[in-house]
Parts: sequence; C-alpha cells; structure tokens
Amino acid sequence: MLKKYLAIPLVLAFSSFASAELTVVVNPANASALDSKTIQRIFLGKEKKFSDGTESLPVNQGADNEIRQNFDQEVLGRSSSQVSAYWSKLVFTGKGIPPKEVMTDAEVIDLVSKNPSVIGYIDSSSVTDAVKVINL
Amino acid sequence: MKKGLLLPVSLLALSVSSAVNADIRINGFANFTAGYTTDDTGLYGYEDKVDFSNGSLFALQVSGDINEKVSATAQILARGSEDFNAEFEWAYLTYNIDENNSLSAGRLRVPLFRYSASLDVGYSYHWITAPRSVYNVPFNNYNGLRYDHSGYSGDFEYLAQFIVGEYNESVSGGEVEADQLFVASFEGTYGSFKGRLVAGRGRNNFTQVTVDQTVAALEPVAPELADLLALQEDTGIFLGAGFEYDNFDWFVSGEVTSVATDDSFSPEDIAWYVTAGKRFGKWTPHITYETRDGDQDIKFLDTVASYPAPFQPTLLAATVGLQSFFMEDFSMITVGARYDWDTNIALKAEVSRYDNKRDDNPADINTAEDTTLINLSVNYIF
Repeated sequence: MLKKYLAIPLVLAFSSFASAELTVVVNPANASALDSKTIQRIFLGKEKKFSDGTESLPVNQGADNEIRQNFDQEVLGRSSSQVSAYWSKLVFTGKGIPPKEVMTDAEVIDLVSKNPSVIGYIDSSSVTDAVKVINL
Repeated sequence: MKKGLLLPVSLLALSVSSAVNADIRINGFANFTAGYTTDDTGLYGYEDKVDFSNGSLFALQVSGDINEKVSATAQILARGSEDFNAEFEWAYLTYNIDENNSLSAGRLRVPLFRYSASLDVGYSYHWITAPRSVYNVPFNNYNGLRYDHSGYSGDFEYLAQFIVGEYNESVSGGEVEADQLFVASFEGTYGSFKGRLVAGRGRNNFTQVTVDQTVAALEPVAPELADLLALQEDTGIFLGAGFEYDNFDWFVSGEVTSVATDDSFSPEDIAWYVTAGKRFGKWTPHITYETRDGDQDIKFLDTVASYPAPFQPTLLAATVGLQSFFMEDFSMITVGARYDWDTNIALKAEVSRYDNKRDDNPADINTAEDTTLINLSVNYIF
C-alpha cells in the first residue's frame, strides 16, 4: 500500500479525489456471512439481524458526504434523495427509524470497533485493524 | 371525530410520562403549496387568485419506545384548508410481537391506497397532491386496531394489513358515521414490481340536509323506497387494486378503486389513475391521468314501478333527483416535475387540466367547470 502510494502519488491522489473507494466494515468479532443484498436490507431497515441471529445496527454517513452518495447509489441502488423519500414513508407511518448518521470515517470506525452489532462503510484508505472489511 | 381521540391521546400521554427513560423522537414535515385556477369557477378550493393556504400543511410527529416491544406515535397536523388548526391526525400504540408481526391501537390511517400511509408527506411521492379522483374519500382515518404481517422470501417481499374499527367524517355537506369497519390489504414487491389488493366494508350512516328531507318526505307515502334511498345502517364496500414498476430510472404505476353502497341513493364510484415519470438526476418530470366515474344507472326504478300509477311521477322525480344530485364524472391530466433540491427538501410544479363531464352537479363541493389548475410546492421533512 505504502509502496504503491509512493510510486504513483499523482494517480492515486487524482482517483481518490474523483471517487472515494467504498468499503463496508464490521466489528472483527462479527463472523456473519454478508452479501450486498443483505447489506441493502439492513440499511433499508428491512432486516434487523445478522445471519448469526445477532442484532444489526447500521450506521450511515451524513447526506452531504460523497461516500454516502456512493453507498446509496452502489449498494442501495438509488439516489440519496430517493433513499430519503423511502425513509420518510417509514418514519411518518411509525414503521421505521433511519440509521444513525455520523460525519466521518473515524466515527464509523470508532462505533464499529466498540460494538459487534454495528455495520458501516468508509473509504478504503481509512481502514484500520479495529474493523473487519467485508468484500462485496 | 374528537371523541375518538380522547382514549389514544390520554393513553399516549400516560405512557410517555411514565416511561422515564423513553427515547423520544421528533420528526416533522411541511408542504407549502401555492395554486390558482385559470377560470373563476375554481377547483379543489383554488380560485383565480393565487392561494397559499389551501394545499399547505405542517406536521410534527412524536414517537417513543415505551419498552422493547411497545412504541407510541402521535402526529399533530395543521392544514391550511382548515385554518391551520392543529389536530391529532394519528395517535396510536404499537406492540411489536416479533420481527414480522405487530398490533397497533388508536387513531390510524386506513390502508386503502398505495400512498395512504404517507398521504400528507408530499416529500414521499412525486406529485404535489396524490390523485384526488382516487384518494379523496371520507374514510382515510379511523379509530380501532390494525394488525400488520410482513415477510420476505428471496426477492419477494410482502405486507398484509388487517384493520377493524369505526370512523366519523364530514363529507358532501353532511356527516358520515361508520362502524363495523373491516379492511384487509395485501402488498407484494418483487424487484422493481409492486402489486396491491385491498377489500373493505363498513356499516354506514349518512346524514345530510337534501337526503334527510327527501327521505322524510317519502317515508309516509313509500316507506320501502325511503328505506332503499336512505343511507342508514347500509353496508358500503371498498375494493381496490394497484400496480407499480419502478427501476429507479423511470416508473409507471396506477390504482383502481370502487366505492359502493348498494342499498342507498349513493352511486357507485369507480376511480383510477395511471402515472409515469422519468428521473434525470435531481429532476423527475411526470404525467398523470386520473378519472372518477360516479355517473351510473338510476337504481330502484322497479321499486318505483311497484307503487300505484298516480304516485309514480312524484316518486320517480324524488328517486332520480336524489341519485343524480350525488353523481359525478370527471377526469384530470396533470403534467409536472419534482426537483430534489436536497435530501430533505423537494420543489415541485404542476399544471392540471380538469374536465368535468357533469357540470351541473350541485352536490359535489368540488364541482367546477372545465378549468386549469397550476400549483407550485415546497415539500420539506426533518
């Protein structure tokens, strides 16, 4: 990673500027099988448990964060406005509460590392040993 | 209506105040809508002067978990069309039996239509107002119980809802009261496709000056006919079906409903709409055709014919007169666009052309000649 970064700083800098690389992360203790369909269901409030039966707590990034828009588009398959309209239907019918929002990758890592139930997403460049990466 | 509120609201207050550690959530939404018609005959409360209140509303929703299984929700809504007098639109307790089943009690929305649950939340759909031909019914809210069952299998998801209760509402210059209200609805989603079926019945009583006078005048002479025409303890039936295809790039959807109370003057209303739109980034242009046909054959003519000939002209006039009074037949085409300004605010513009096929209908307060309605709206959620 470090070597690559040194070798092609310009390319990497440019590509990370153009589009943050999305990585879904969970607590290292979480051994559940997760595919993008399940992650979609968890983040849309349709599934409240991991495959091992433990509670799942999705954490979103703020609506203005680029990575949130990427996540909504790539994993949920719709724009952030459509996701927001989807939640408005659930919230105002008492059927659901949207995931908690935090503003930075560091906050996601902090929450995920402290609680085995939490699932979040961050830029791949922010990944630390405190979290487990889910390969989609 | 207000009487029915006392129980759920006081229950709610009790629950919230006694649960010290309850996590209270406050959400809100607002629709700020301006509109005017091109003709002075007006339409849906709009006239040929710009109006800012008729389609505007503000709402606050307070919800909290009383314990792990029970939550309480209340929605206080102020409508511009009712001088922004705040009222409890909903107030209910939900008992989450398990992940797939829940039971709610209080004042709730009847699950009649695709957008019933979020009908007031303009932000949740592409229109400024959901098609009135279908959605304008006097039984959108009720007091009672609702049982929800949801689940999924692979890509197929479903939600079944059953309700039992009663309601009271003002409509067509009168009051309608219904008890023994039962509604069952089923909604299935498979990928981009969604289908919906609903059936309901209620035992209705309707009082309104014209109806009451006609029935009272007929009673001494023709009791059987008076009883047929009157809408007293008569069963009303609601049937509906809906479909939707939405691949997030473009969508098309529609609903069809039938509302009928056979043993009464009230004509059967058949209403439907079809809408389609395409999303271009933040823009969603859309088009909708909607219609309501309540212009039906006159009922009870054979009963009139069973009376002695000298009475028949008077009885016939009353029978035809009363039924015609409530018949309506109109359609509307709406072209509009939604612009997603931000993830909690949308701007909308619409132009609607209204075609009234029974321009002489005095019973419908919304009666109007053909006219064009122009609306602009800001929809906000927080």
